[in-house]
Amino acid sequence: MRSKLVLLLAGIMLVTSIFAGCTPKEPTAAETPEASDAPKTVETVKIGAILPLTGGAAATGVKLQAAMEVAQEIINGEHPEIAIPLAKEAGLPNLGNAKLEIVFADHQGNPEMAKSEAERLIEEGVAGLVGSYQSSATKPASQAAEQYGVPFVAGSSSSAALTERGLQYFVRIAPNDDMETAMFFDYLMYLNENFNGGIKKVAVAYIDNEFGVHAKDMVEKWVKEKYGALGFELVGTVPYAVDVTNVDTEVQQIKSLNADAIFHASYIADITMFVNKYKEFKITPKAVMNYCGGFQDTQFVVNLGNDGDYFAGGAAFSAEKLGGMPELAEINKLYKAKTNADLDGPALEEFASVMVLAEAINIAGKLDGDAIMDAIRNTSFDAPYFATGKIKFNEKGQNEVPASYIVQTQDKKYQAVYPKDTATADPIVPFPDWSQR
Amino acid sequence: MIVGQIIANGILMGFIYTLVAVGLTLTWGVMDIINFAHGEFLMIGMYTAFWMFTIFAIDPLAALPICIVLLFILGVLTYAGIIKRVINAPGLTALLATFGFSMFLKNLAQFLWTPNFRYINESAVSGKTIELGNIVIGVPQIVAAAASIILTIAVMAFMDRTKTGKAIQATALNKNTALLMGINTKKMYAITFGLSGACVGAAGALMSTFFPIYPASGALYSIIAFVAVALGGFGNIKGALFGGLIIGLTEALGGYFLGTQFKYAIVFLIYLIVIQVRPKGLFGW
Repeated sequence: MRSKLVLLLAGIMLVTSIFAGCTPKEPTAAETPEASDAPKTVETVKIGAILPLTGGAAATGVKLQAAMEVAQEIINGEHPEIAIPLAKEAGLPNLGNAKLEIVFADHQGNPEMAKSEAERLIEEGVAGLVGSYQSSATKPASQAAEQYGVPFVAGSSSSAALTERGLQYFVRIAPNDDMETAMFFDYLMYLNENFNGGIKKVAVAYIDNEFGVHAKDMVEKWVKEKYGALGFELVGTVPYAVDVTNVDTEVQQIKSLNADAIFHASYIADITMFVNKYKEFKITPKAVMNYCGGFQDTQFVVNLGNDGDYFAGGAAFSAEKLGGMPELAEINKLYKAKTNADLDGPALEEFASVMVLAEAINIAGKLDGDAIMDAIRNTSFDAPYFATGKIKFNEKGQNEVPASYIVQTQDKKYQAVYPKDTATADPIVPFPDWSQR
Repeated sequence: MIVGQIIANGILMGFIYTLVAVGLTLTWGVMDIINFAHGEFLMIGMYTAFWMFTIFAIDPLAALPICIVLLFILGVLTYAGIIKRVINAPGLTALLATFGFSMFLKNLAQFLWTPNFRYINESAVSGKTIELGNIVIGVPQIVAAAASIILTIAVMAFMDRTKTGKAIQATALNKNTALLMGINTKKMYAITFGLSGACVGAAGALMSTFFPIYPASGALYSIIAFVAVALGGFGNIKGALFGGLIIGLTEALGGYFLGTQFKYAIVFLIYLIVIQVRPKGLFGW
């Protein structure tokens, strides 16, 4: 018996050490990539992309990779039909039409691995980094980039804490969970005022990591500072483990809270389990709001069919808006050819992260981290693929032109429902009974 | 009333852990070989059921025999191709070999079938529930629970009442003596791995009706299954049943009353306490 346990323990330690990677060494002056004034005739500009390409979030990771590859394809090819920067001619014009090469790395959803992969890519000489989807992975990876003075453009990571660290080489495109929370409450007020929503009691179900904990913190903050006075009450919070095998207990806790609206900070595997359990236990809140995560992945409606209807969340993309956004329609066409699916919010934000980094490198005209960061901070980027059309970072590195709006799944489609001027459909509230689908 | 629901959920989840653990009791509990690819066998069982349903419209319950046979073959091949070559090496070698195999299977699944999450939403039992007063119980979980009891009894009967089962036990106790007694030990190992695969194949087919199917789906359950076997007791097949039930109930009740973020921590705490009091597990010999 003892030998069996010792053996198992030894195995687990070994496996853990394999996954944890090597202890990263501190950068030294000699190892730090040269802040080179690269000649304008470089043939290839490398940037690194760190994503969860295997493990629990791989389903999302490979889609984000495809979106980044579309950006690379647009930059390196000639696409005059897409009226966005760097599309018209091949490569980066200010660097002698150098091609962009994205070097992908897999962090498997493991923050430690995200950090070691960031360091590896930097040592390979990438001019900047993008990624890493999960905020818990983006945090250490961007910390490593900061140490080396390499720009890091996060696309879809939404933890508000990421842009509160005072980093000089980090920016983020997606609205953070602070902004999303305020938008959720504004949307609930819109439902109450215009659709007799009757929503007062709010609960939060969140994954117990960087992303989830900060989303929960933001709900607590906003209820305390503003929305509590406007009639909202936070009735409870329900955390769940990162690698959860079942959510039965969590759903019972949520049920006992009897909330009008549930805010979810969940990835695709978890949110799908929750929806199945809501149906099994006939839980029908008036609204379910989802932070940027699993709900926005189009696999959500593929897997759940009509059971996935009436859920809502912040997203930068709705296929229903393609008619009025020709650039986005072209980008979506390229993406669909690769994945056989429409873009989704996180994929579009990761696409934007590559476009922004590439444009900044082009503006800087060299591969120097400081020059690239200057361009990132001082440029208002044209982004007609976003509803707001622009990307501009504030002093903390947060894109201050929020690209998201509220979408609601209706008949397996993501309809834009709020703000009203961007809406493609009216919101449906309350959440209908499970038997009426 | 809600406590009743929590207990029902815990028991059903316990049976599901048992379902995964039964196969493991044969290789690890009886034969003393850690098969780190056990979770990936489960994943392949789930994918087999999924593709049978998607391509041939065969319900996962009807695909049960196919999954069992396929995974039996995979188990035998695993023994012949990997375990047989390292069986006389230190235990860590077999462990590393199966770990490598598990990585291979996981990545192969991602390569062949993409990492997308798949669901079987239209099987004969999917989405169906039974209501006992205010307690709601899912039909797929009931079927899985019944299967885990049947599997446990079947494996116990096989081990105790058949010649082959006794030969396996003899091989596990002392391979050299078993060999002297005329037992083909290589064949016994191959059968054990085949049976372990068959059990987890059945688990895969049943779980495919209510759990997401993706390349890493087996890993989560196999870790709990390892604990269920160790908690229940090595060498005791029904120990896995009770081990699974204890884990299911502990995570459900502990998670509800002490905080859902701690539910796995509580399971491992109970496990640590039990092995301090009974180092061979609750029913170990």
